[in-house]
Amino acid sequence: MTQQGLATAPLESARPPRERGLVGTVVNSAWPVAVGLTVAAMMHVMLPTTIGPFYTRIVIDSGIAIILAVSLNIVNGMTGQFSLGHAAFLALGGYTAGMITFYGSLLLWNSPAKQGGFLGSGEWLFAFACLMGGIVATLAGYVVGLPSLRLRGDYLAIVTLGFGEILRVILQQTRPVIDSVEKLKNAGAAQLWPPPVGGAVGFNGLPKYTNLFWVYAFATFMLVVAFRLKRSSLGRAMISVREDEFAAQAMGVNVARIKVLAFMIAAFFAGLAGGLYAHESGLIMSPRDAGFQRSLDYVLMTVLGGRGSISGVMLAAIILTVMPEALRDFDQYRLIVYALLLIGMMLLRPQGLFGIHEVWDWRPRWRSRAATTRSMPAKGGRPNA
Amino acid sequence: MHNSQPPAPSPQPPAASSLLAVENIGISFGGLKAVEGFSVRLPAGGLYGLIGPNGAGKTTVFNLLTGVYPATTGRISLDTQNLNGLKPHEVAAAGIARTFQNIRLFPGLNVLDNVQLAGQLRAREGLASTLLRTRRYAHEESEIRRKAFELLDLFGLQARAEEPADSLSYGYQRYLEIVRALAAEPKVLLLDEPAAGLNSQEKIELAKSIRQIRDRFGVAILLIEHDMGLVMEICEQITVLDHGVIIAHGSPPEIQNDPKVIAAYLGSDVGAV
Amino acid sequence: MADFAQTLMTALAVGSLYALIALGYTMVYGILKFINFAHSDIVVLGAWLSFTMAQRLLPMLGLDPHNPATTPPLWVGEVILLASMAFCSLIGFAIERLAYKPLRKAPRLNVLITAIGVSLLLQNVGQLNFVFGPSPQKMPALLPTWELLRVSLPSANGNRDVVVGLVDVVIIVTSAVLMIALEYLVFRTKTGTAMRAVSFDIDASALMGIPVDRVVSFTFVLGSALAAAAGFLYALKYPGLNQPAHATWVLLGLKAFVAAVIGGIGNVRGAVLGGFVIAFVEQFGAFYLSSNYRDVYVFALLIAILLVRPSGLLGSTVREKV
Ligand SMILES: Nc1ncnc2c1ncn2[C@@H]1O[C@H](COP(=O)(O)OP(=O)(O)OP(=O)(O)O)[C@@H](O)[C@H]1O
Ligand SMILES: [Mg+2]
Repeated sequence: MTQQGLATAPLESARPPRERGLVGTVVNSAWPVAVGLTVAAMMHVMLPTTIGPFYTRIVIDSGIAIILAVSLNIVNGMTGQFSLGHAAFLALGGYTAGMITFYGSLLLWNSPAKQGGFLGSGEWLFAFACLMGGIVATLAGYVVGLPSLRLRGDYLAIVTLGFGEILRVILQQTRPVIDSVEKLKNAGAAQLWPPPVGGAVGFNGLPKYTNLFWVYAFATFMLVVAFRLKRSSLGRAMISVREDEFAAQAMGVNVARIKVLAFMIAAFFAGLAGGLYAHESGLIMSPRDAGFQRSLDYVLMTVLGGRGSISGVMLAAIILTVMPEALRDFDQYRLIVYALLLIGMMLLRPQGLFGIHEVWDWRPRWRSRAATTRSMPAKGGRPNA
Repeated sequence: MHNSQPPAPSPQPPAASSLLAVENIGISFGGLKAVEGFSVRLPAGGLYGLIGPNGAGKTTVFNLLTGVYPATTGRISLDTQNLNGLKPHEVAAAGIARTFQNIRLFPGLNVLDNVQLAGQLRAREGLASTLLRTRRYAHEESEIRRKAFELLDLFGLQARAEEPADSLSYGYQRYLEIVRALAAEPKVLLLDEPAAGLNSQEKIELAKSIRQIRDRFGVAILLIEHDMGLVMEICEQITVLDHGVIIAHGSPPEIQNDPKVIAAYLGSDVGAV
Repeated sequence: MADFAQTLMTALAVGSLYALIALGYTMVYGILKFINFAHSDIVVLGAWLSFTMAQRLLPMLGLDPHNPATTPPLWVGEVILLASMAFCSLIGFAIERLAYKPLRKAPRLNVLITAIGVSLLLQNVGQLNFVFGPSPQKMPALLPTWELLRVSLPSANGNRDVVVGLVDVVIIVTSAVLMIALEYLVFRTKTGTAMRAVSFDIDASALMGIPVDRVVSFTFVLGSALAAAAGFLYALKYPGLNQPAHATWVLLGLKAFVAAVIGGIGNVRGAVLGGFVIAFVEQFGAFYLSSNYRDVYVFALLIAILLVRPSGLLGSTVREKV
């Protein structure tokens, strides 16, 4: 190795940054959303008639699972915190959204039934309700994120789990749903507090607005955020917290802020998904949805997908949604297969399906590494131990 | 010690304008006084050494300087800013960057991202512009990227930019840690045993690089190192710690001939040099 | 006064159960540093095994398992307890060897997920028709419904009788015996010393020639035996056994784990302390505030304690060395 210390001239291979114009920037900023919305609208129009209600339902479930798993992955995968309470945000968002559509419909239209058709007034109320669900969940995410500043690993997991369980019990103590305007107007404090969202039996009678369009519109929203985050300074800061909190601090990462931010973003989308879940036909949002076991479902998706791999987690969300349906015939053995899969996965492929890489990173990454190893420059001043 | 020069009785010059001024800091763990009454004045562009036997408290000094442990006594200031009580990330923002004795890269990030991480220190665009991909955000990100590539290039690492940090050889990992710290654009760079684990050829190269880093980036460097040859060769001033207290401070020749230093090192790893 | 005494009695019995279960969590965590989520399923296994054995044994003795008036001699309960402890130990041993041991060097998150997988597996294998089945069952009475003590104490509305039942006393005494035995084992024997050494530093212990694998296995055997005992006692106290995958079991396990965390995880005495603290908060909260929120008190206490003392009541704070 020749001795020349630091190189003085930049190599020609250093990539120049790309510059874009204003239009380019807007297009660059908005195109994924536009594509996503178009796809969502097309799915909504075409899928139900072609694949029938059963499969439509599975596609909807997958979309909701994608939102939940990818959002949880921001906390568990990217930031490396271990939350076992993600379902709490789902439930909080679902109940909030449900209250808005149900009682909003009662007050606006005198009936909790669905109003208007595709993109009609009812659906906009529903979309607004989901957003509010997301916002309420975000506030909760802030609160749940705070312990992450003091607690690590398993301890944090247990505290987040505790939050979920507490919410579950509190939801069980809520009042029965008030299903007519007259009763609502005559209701006293005793009927209104704790809120009339159905107690242990769940929040019955919600207008079932959730359809493919809204699910995949929100899923697009989630995915765009997740991918942009991952490739940004903020995303790098999150990953650095996961990799080595201490070194991250030394590099100027405000670990406290990053952790709480991760929790809040994840909670927002979980709340949003909760709104979708609550308004999905055939389902009743119930206190159990806040609890530990439901949280576990999403943890498994992130683990199976690979921590930090957005596309991997998406895929896992779909697989773990479809698989139980596919195994329906084996009923009793369904969860056993599921459990064995999980254990086997941890023993054989502990990094998840895709580790930290995206699905499409696989071959190109392998190739580019092979290429660079071959063309390692023999520059001086560096050890090659 | 191969740097056997005649004792130079020159008194240490008073640091007229010290960039990093540390006075009398200390901390104890339980009953153990890990560091006590530590002071140093590092001028801008200075290259100082911090040596001492194993367990002397050198790393603890770095931890105190970077806010990992709160100093229970004393005062730390950088330029005019008082650093006492700042959290580690605030210290980093104030302009102190460090490397770690046992390499602490982010193995799950690639080489480039390890370096780009520092960009978030000065990043002004927040969550909203990140998610909207505003023009200013895109510009900022491409600046961060450009600077990172420039640095990597300087150290011959740019060809490996896309590889996971932990796929680098040990020596390159040590360099990458330095590059990562430099990316934070610090005023003061703290290097904790950068030569540990390198062979003698690599050490010579490292010595050269450290000097060049100082000259090129104008940072002041405080260097912890067990390799006496390296320290004596490149450091202008050396502080010697033993059992948490300073036992000597001065130029390399003074240190080499200080009987207290020799006594502290007797039976210790001085023979390894 | 009467209410207080009655609640106290219940809290002591329930606290003993929590403590027994918490011990298993804490010992495993102390050594391998992960939450053994499958531990609560060993409790379930213990309870259901007890049920199955009682169901089979009683007819052999000419007794009707469904008639609570006829109870078998006391040795039957003891046999069932010991058999169930032995069997669960075996299962605990097998789980550790098959599922956890290959992951000894893996990130802790992976082990945790594996534990969740094992837990799911046990639950759902338990629910198979030819194992324990998917529906709740009624545990046959193994103890006569003796009242050891009945005192009349003043309460808010006149005097009330406070009953000290045989079941509660059996639970408290059995647990106490087991815990004292464990205390002796951990702090007074060579095996216990080895356990503590491994818990302190597993790598250094290996270097010092401690048979780490055997110690870890032993810890699982021990923890599973205690869990089985807790399952048996639980079935005595609450004979309405829910099916193996029912949420009550998960919650029971969670609370016991909370007890271990509150006491300072890894600390054997802390687990016992935590068990009783949890039980007291739960029972007294349920009685004096509102029984609807009993789980809330437990988890709120957990969060509060962790925020004030992140390492629990008796845990020691470890500072990360850089
Ligand atoms: N977080 C801590 N808790 C308790 N003791 C500590 C802590 N950090 C350091 N010490 C103790 O303080 C003393 C100084 O440690 P330090 O790591 O600073 O030594 P050092 O000079 O860097 O040694 P080396 O050359 O081996 O790196 C040692 O006795 C060490 O055990
Ligand atoms: Mg050191």
